[in-house]
Amino acid sequence: MFRKILIANRGEIALRILRACRELGISTVAVYSDADRAAPHVLEADEAYRLGLAPADESYLRGDLILDIARRTHADAIHPGYGFLSENADFAQSCEHAGIRFIGPTSSAMRILGSKTNARQAADEAGIPRTPGCVHGLASPEEALDVAAGVGYPVMLKAAAGGGGKGMRAVARPEDLPSAFAEASSEADRAFGSGEVYLEKLIERPRHIEIQILADEHGHCVSLGERECSVQRRHQKVIEEAPSAVVDAALRRRMGDAAVKLALSAGYTNAGTVEFLVDDNRKFYFLEMNTRLQVEHPVTELVTGYDLVHLQIRIAQGEPLPFTQKDVQLRGHAIECRIYAEDPANGFMPSPGRITRLLQPGGPGIREDSGIYEGWVVPMDYDPMLSKLIAYAPTRELAIARLERALGEYVIGGIRTNLALFRRILSDPDFRAARFDTGYLDRLLTRVPEGPAISPNGAGAIPAVAAAAFFEATRATLNGNAHSRPRLAGGWKTVARREAVGEGSGKASRP
Amino acid sequence: MKFTLEIDGQTRQVEIEPADQPGQWRIQVDGHEVEADAHLLRPGVLSLLIAGQSHRVVLDVEHFEPALHLGAKRIPYRVDDPRSLRSRRRHGQSDGPVTLRASMPGRIVRLLVAKGDTVAAHQGILVIEAMKMQNEIKSPKEGRVADLRVTPGDTVAAGDTLATIE
Repeated sequence: MFRKILIANRGEIALRILRACRELGISTVAVYSDADRAAPHVLEADEAYRLGLAPADESYLRGDLILDIARRTHADAIHPGYGFLSENADFAQSCEHAGIRFIGPTSSAMRILGSKTNARQAADEAGIPRTPGCVHGLASPEEALDVAAGVGYPVMLKAAAGGGGKGMRAVARPEDLPSAFAEASSEADRAFGSGEVYLEKLIERPRHIEIQILADEHGHCVSLGERECSVQRRHQKVIEEAPSAVVDAALRRRMGDAAVKLALSAGYTNAGTVEFLVDDNRKFYFLEMNTRLQVEHPVTELVTGYDLVHLQIRIAQGEPLPFTQKDVQLRGHAIECRIYAEDPANGFMPSPGRITRLLQPGGPGIREDSGIYEGWVVPMDYDPMLSKLIAYAPTRELAIARLERALGEYVIGGIRTNLALFRRILSDPDFRAARFDTGYLDRLLTRVPEGPAISPNGAGAIPAVAAAAFFEATRATLNGNAHSRPRLAGGWKTVARREAVGEGSGKASRP
Repeated sequence: MKFTLEIDGQTRQVEIEPADQPGQWRIQVDGHEVEADAHLLRPGVLSLLIAGQSHRVVLDVEHFEPALHLGAKRIPYRVDDPRSLRSRRRHGQSDGPVTLRASMPGRIVRLLVAKGDTVAAHQGILVIEAMKMQNEIKSPKEGRVADLRVTPGDTVAAGDTLATIE
């Protein structure tokens, strides 16, 4: 049994793992960069140690420092979360050598399934359908042209080590292929340190549907249903849900069986996700495998009732899975929004900075996995995800209603967020009817240009009344007397400025 | 007291006076009288009752520019006190040098112009990176780069002066 786990991550996922550890009676070690001294995962952990400077390659990507802290604190295991070192086979191997459990697959399984080209070969060996194209990196533009001619245009170039849409290029005509090949390869080299690029046939208007699997170290592997992740912006997931509106029990079983077969063929253990594209005819094609816990794991937890992080820890301790495939039952519907510090009204510009106001939703069917608090300064050094808001209800319709209700309660001030984007998506008739594919959101965003909210002339004086009442009420409170006569306008403005610099009323000077 | 409010793309004349009961106000917006019951729950969060309708108003200040969260909307606004020197200055400021400020914290990746260069409106001045995204900061007008305060590698805070275009 683990007594202590080091969490090699930050933000909401570090807190998510920390909570699971606490529920299992396991003590926790947090690590942090200089940008994260005041982060909630440091506050909540039993122990916390500094890694280094803010940039990730000087802190959260420093596997050597993290292993050293794990050794010195006598941690039994390291949970990598997602991102950072979670899919780094060399780090997993270093943990194995150091005798510290890496909570995830073995480094050898990760090497087979973590590289997209290796995983495509594994899919072929396991007899799992994949997109037509090559299973090795392309050596030259000429080879790319040969493969493309074989599968037919349009085609997609992808980085073998890729993720997050980097090193990807869709190509419609042979004459565009050589330059796209060069671009994709150099982008992949810059992003992942490997320029290896392969090519596959582009599936038109696909859905992105993935299967969650869990495998123990005793040869048991189960699938926990699918997640529908087609609502994406530039290949980054924005909304995920479970189950998918287009997956029936028969398709779920076939996709689940394929995912389990692939995992078992590589000796995979712990939690993993097998991603598929599904076309109009509900044919599915293996896309890639994510050899870690996913951001969107909560929607699976809600519809299956299993705690994936608990199970990851129990599997890593060598326990057999406590249930079998026939025990897995899906119930209800769950939808997740990824809340980012970015401004949809301004080209999705990142918006790090201090959160000056925070009103978080609650109530029936709402789960929030968040890594923020009022007063927290969102660092500019990491990905902009602040929180995941998840709604659960008996039906998809009710889950949407709950999510809309919760979004209405949610206010984040001081920085810009994409909260308004979710209101827009959730009210869109196509989303409500589950009519979408991976290009849906990019089309929605071009259809109506995003601009600042403008109300028509004479739309009511409420905002003006609100602004006026706000400051009068603030001033009155500061004066400790709601009915003191208004003083000079200069004083009134001082109050406004004091508010603006974020001082609370308690600290403000009294006249 | 009276003041001018620029809100939601409109300019409104507002007058506010306390009414008989604590928390009650008589407010005139462009001459129309509204009775409001406003209660500050905690700094930045106001409960507003107007004719029985309940509104939650949350103050959001970003780079010293206030905005209201009202319903699903974020509404920026500005208070103009006619006696303030600063407002008078702002009204006259259409030509003259323009200070380019960082709209977000970030790291300067590269400069696209040098001090003294002539630039066109919307020409890129420099590139800032934050949260794994690079953003080009453009010149708001045609002119000359009178001052360039940053060099590649610098970290800037929101509101920091980057350059002056005249």
